[in-house]
Amino acid sequence: MNSVTLSLGVGLAATLISFPFALATAWFLERTQARGRGIVQTLVMLPLVLPPVVLGYLLLKLFSPRGILGEALAVLGIPVAFHFLGAVVAAAVVGFPLFVMSISLAMKGVDVRLERVSRSLGRSRWETLWRVTLPLSWPGILAGAAVSFARGLGEFGATIILAGRIPGETETIPLAIYAELDSPGGEGRIAGLIGTSLLVCLASVVVARALDRWYARRLEIDR
Amino acid sequence: MKFEFEVRERRRTGFSLEVRESIEADSVGLVGPSGSGKSTLLDSVAGVESGARVILGGVDCSRVPLEKREVGYVTQDALLFPHLSVRENLLYSPRAKDLGDVPQALGVGHLLERMPRNLSGGERRRVALGRAILSRPRVLLLDEPFGGLDETRRREAMSLLDQVRRTYRLPMILVSHLADEVIGLTDWAIRLEEGRVVARGPSVTVLRASETQIDNYVTGTVVGPGRVRVGSTELSVILPDAATGSVRLACYAHDILLATREPEQISARNVLRTRVSSIEGSGAAALVELEEPHLRALLTLRAIESLALKPGAEVFAILKATSIAYLGRP
Repeated sequence: MNSVTLSLGVGLAATLISFPFALATAWFLERTQARGRGIVQTLVMLPLVLPPVVLGYLLLKLFSPRGILGEALAVLGIPVAFHFLGAVVAAAVVGFPLFVMSISLAMKGVDVRLERVSRSLGRSRWETLWRVTLPLSWPGILAGAAVSFARGLGEFGATIILAGRIPGETETIPLAIYAELDSPGGEGRIAGLIGTSLLVCLASVVVARALDRWYARRLEIDR
Repeated sequence: MKFEFEVRERRRTGFSLEVRESIEADSVGLVGPSGSGKSTLLDSVAGVESGARVILGGVDCSRVPLEKREVGYVTQDALLFPHLSVRENLLYSPRAKDLGDVPQALGVGHLLERMPRNLSGGERRRVALGRAILSRPRVLLLDEPFGGLDETRRREAMSLLDQVRRTYRLPMILVSHLADEVIGLTDWAIRLEEGRVVARGPSVTVLRASETQIDNYVTGTVVGPGRVRVGSTELSVILPDAATGSVRLACYAHDILLATREPEQISARNVLRTRVSSIEGSGAAALVELEEPHLRALLTLRAIESLALKPGAEVFAILKATSIAYLGRP
């Protein structure tokens, strides 16, 4: 697998895996009065401000075969550190704050009175989430998916520490660019990789915006 | 239905609400200026706000969450689900099995496949009301359902609600800052001010001097140009040319005059011989209920005394054709 398709696979897998967690976190932050929301909010934002290398190191501690999670996953036969999944985890974690922020923002935009009406009509909180909150948050969720995908695509520091640089397994576009810097005649390949990442990131943002606008038109919500 | 509730709320802003009522009525009105706590009280009954003691029809639902309380909660903003069609909105509740005659009764039968964005404000309110009715509530809770409407639309909306109340026999609590809106549609009212009950009783007794816009709604059949049969009487009404068949009419209670002798040489087009069925009121004004047609006239207590009106007395109700408003088809 070349680094471009690998990157796309990593970004996609990272986005899909983090979606339920991002959704649950956003819901917890926006729609509950539970204690500890402040702490969760802070923790969620941490990957955004932590140096990626520090993040990678912490993830390595967690996911190495001797780490708490790594050991459990090793028993199940799921290796993370220095494997494809390591790159996915690194991408998912760095994209997570953006994903949560985006869904939170979308949920903030949904009139809580609609949810109240839904419940007064006999739908539980869970049903209300599926039938009202989520359908009305789709644009934000998609936008969040797009930015977290694009962010994960470009992750370097955390990836190289947690997953290493194994061509065809964990060598995503940024890692490949890094490798090409030293190799003779790498200039051309670097240009290609940079062009590709520009294109992919641009495309994901454009698609997200288009979906957002299409959906807004469907609901005729002014944006 | 018996409504019992006890609400104690204290807000950091200094606002406090303390209400303890036990009411036996079909429909209850809550009036008071904005900020008096009536919406908070309604939210407590609905279960949006928790902590209140609420017993509806003998069933204690103080600890029943919003989704199990079986209340039809309708607010001034229709709050239709924007991503669902009218049909999907109407059938949203798991308790709504089929549409039945509700869309027709509310005049939205032709809008079922439309999306809420393509509805007028009035249509949205009708759909919201229908959605609440179809959820088979034990009680309808209406928060300022006529807010922001001009007089004609308000009368239309009120007459519709009056029809709903009669057709579906749903107990309801109606909140409004205007007493007139509440009194015409409820039989018991509570007036709130700054979180306290300042008056309670049969609706008309909480009226104040300036509050006179109590409306009468009747349904009749067009029998000729400008003529409408209502029950056993016939009324002269100003009708649009296109009006035929069943029509809904409205007439304010303060526009109806009563006389104990038949007036002659009078410009009013409708002089109806009828009887007083009841008189209810306090303070300066009272509502005199008539037998046939079933209308209410708002009179001063002095007028009632000087005519010596009492239940059973024969009277002539005088209605100007120009004070009868045409509200369209039922």
